[in-house]
Amino acid sequence: MMEETAKSRFSVPRIPIVGGVLSIIPGLGQVYGGFIMRGVLLFLFIASLYALSLWRMDNAGIDISTYPSYNADDLNKKQEQAFIFATLAILLTTVGYVWNIYDGYVSAGGKPSPALVPGLFITIATLIIGAHITEIDIAKAVNEIGDVSPRLKQILWPWNPDDSAFTREVETFDGVAMWETPCDDTPVKQPTHTEGESYIEIDSVCGSISGLRKPDGSRDEGTTINIKGYDFRPGEEAELVLKPGSVPEFRVVVEGERVRVIPDENGEFELSFVMPNFTIPATATTSTPVEITVRQKQEVGSLKLSEDFWLSFEGIIETLFLALMATIAGLVLAVPVSFLAARNLMSTSRITIAAYYIIRVILNVVRSIEPIVWALIAIIWVGAGPFAGVLALTIHTIASLAKLYSEAIESIDPGPIEAIQATGADRLQTIMYAVVPQVIPPFVSFTIYRWDINVRMSTIIGAVGGGGIGLVLIQWIRLAKYDSVGIAVWMIAIVVTILDYASARIREQYV
Amino acid sequence: MILNIKNLTKIYDTGTKALTDVSFDVTEGEFLVIIGLSGSGKSTLLRCINRLIDPTSGEIWFNGKDIAKAKGRQLRETRRQIGMVFQQFNLVKRSSVLTNVISGRLGYMNPMWSLTNYTPRSIRQDAMRALEKVGIPDKAYNRADELSGGQQQRVGIARALMQNPRIILADEPVASLDPVLAHSILGYLEKLNKEQGVTIICSLHYLDLVQRYATRVIGLRDGKIVYEGDNTSIRKMTDTQFKEVYGEEAQRMGSGLLGESA
Repeated sequence: MMEETAKSRFSVPRIPIVGGVLSIIPGLGQVYGGFIMRGVLLFLFIASLYALSLWRMDNAGIDISTYPSYNADDLNKKQEQAFIFATLAILLTTVGYVWNIYDGYVSAGGKPSPALVPGLFITIATLIIGAHITEIDIAKAVNEIGDVSPRLKQILWPWNPDDSAFTREVETFDGVAMWETPCDDTPVKQPTHTEGESYIEIDSVCGSISGLRKPDGSRDEGTTINIKGYDFRPGEEAELVLKPGSVPEFRVVVEGERVRVIPDENGEFELSFVMPNFTIPATATTSTPVEITVRQKQEVGSLKLSEDFWLSFEGIIETLFLALMATIAGLVLAVPVSFLAARNLMSTSRITIAAYYIIRVILNVVRSIEPIVWALIAIIWVGAGPFAGVLALTIHTIASLAKLYSEAIESIDPGPIEAIQATGADRLQTIMYAVVPQVIPPFVSFTIYRWDINVRMSTIIGAVGGGGIGLVLIQWIRLAKYDSVGIAVWMIAIVVTILDYASARIREQYV
Repeated sequence: MILNIKNLTKIYDTGTKALTDVSFDVTEGEFLVIIGLSGSGKSTLLRCINRLIDPTSGEIWFNGKDIAKAKGRQLRETRRQIGMVFQQFNLVKRSSVLTNVISGRLGYMNPMWSLTNYTPRSIRQDAMRALEKVGIPDKAYNRADELSGGQQQRVGIARALMQNPRIILADEPVASLDPVLAHSILGYLEKLNKEQGVTIICSLHYLDLVQRYATRVIGLRDGKIVYEGDNTSIRKMTDTQFKEVYGEEAQRMGSGLLGESA
């Protein structure tokens, strides 16, 4: 253990009691005793744990100047929780603090005490504060697991016949009658119907729509129309649809419910409704005909893949190519950069060493910025869409591949380089004959690995507007269409798995 | 005289004095063997001659020119006349044997060709002939790392042959091989030396090999020349002379082998 091998910076022990007193400020006694790192760490841990505990209570709205005397009734639930967590942390830290004073005393004497037990107290205090900050609530996670299971089921298995992955073609059975408003001298012509097909009869052929102001100032209640239907499919729901003049057809809704009827075993029904209000085109000079339809729908034919499925499919193809383009663009640009970022090739003169350091710094900065941030920048740059995604991934790929490549170059066997140089080869020939053959296997391996990463990253980038499957995925998540989410998740999982396997195989062959 | 080393000194950046004021001449057609302990400066000396290492001071007269400070084209043209064979063979392991041999001709080729991987037919034929000379034409299309150590070193010699060298520098060419292979490899060098008049400068560890192949011997110790002798005098080398080169701990092995200092 560190404590046993720890050596003071001073060969002569200090005065223990001074160390103990100094450790009233945590760690100071240890510093005095010559254990500087130990002192600094103790100070940081103890001071920050006290500060964090107070901050959590302050954050919850507790007046910390009167801590710890509170009336339990004055605290709300959140404050109560903060109080309990913080007090626990403070108590544990105080154990550490007391030990720190003792340790300051013995450290000054040249023999610091083992830190295992107090270290454990401080660690637990840190975890308690951490649990409070991150709002860890295991009880909640367990109790509410029921809420997630139906959705999880949809996501995990979106392939049931009535899920959004599939559709069927729909056949309609319409009974149609004509009506007009207002009444005029020529009654509207009724459609003929073929024998054996469903049809309807109405008890009036003209009338008024509801809601219009009558000359006496009252509102027209609208004509009540009674419909009789024949030869419909028994027991299957039919709905009422109106199509007045050139206005698009609409379903009739009364008190928030669609008007529906279920035909009896003979396929007959009776239905009455009040002609609702609709906008009569201002150009209408004569009466407006209204097509009254009672419609039954039936799903026919075999299951077909739905539009959502094909959207996912297009999305994953876009994602694959997005990742491929970014990887290839990154590869092409990273190769030259990597040679400039390889220490063993760049240590020939001061200028090249300076270039090496500058390039290394730039690569590190670019790499440390997440692709999602680059995506936001790229969207401002070229607008949302897959191209923005390609740009974002390319930038990040250049930086990370250049670093991996340059490390591969740095780890090559210098022997062949020496041998090729000795033949009188120039720099370019040396690189082509001695460096390139050695770095091709790791380059291939890293590149495929990177494509793998890019496919996974592009799903995230799509969510912020970078195109690909992420775009549809995030829309479905927002619309709570969990079965469609499931389709996208499946596509991603399948593609990533295949790619994973393929890249492993290809890398095996090259290394 | 093909090579004339004058007051050659090499001090590394770390402060290590690898060579101190080394001077000697090499006559065309010699088989010069350099002996000395590991770290005595043998490798540094050989690498200074073809300038893989830049000497700190001194002169290296090759072919009537001082190449100690040569740069660019002059350095290339010098290097391509000096072949080099290495202890660890230094082949490009993943490249084919033929490609490794062809790389010996790079000093004569247009550097731009290297970008296209293009090699003129005549150079490929020369490479095959070089492989025939070292007895492994059938391995031309194998990957270099599929070959045994002895075969790899023969590829190394074939690569040096492609340079049409006037000198071959061999840095412990047989230290990684067993004694039978060692004789075979040194046999190829001797053949080149005798039949084509190629000057050989070779560092060796084993005294019996030195006695068998050298026409002249230079002993290095701590970067200084402590022994010079011809073929006959090395056979009569006394234990005292031996210890001067190899240090007090050195012992003569029964078979005439000399181990690394214990």
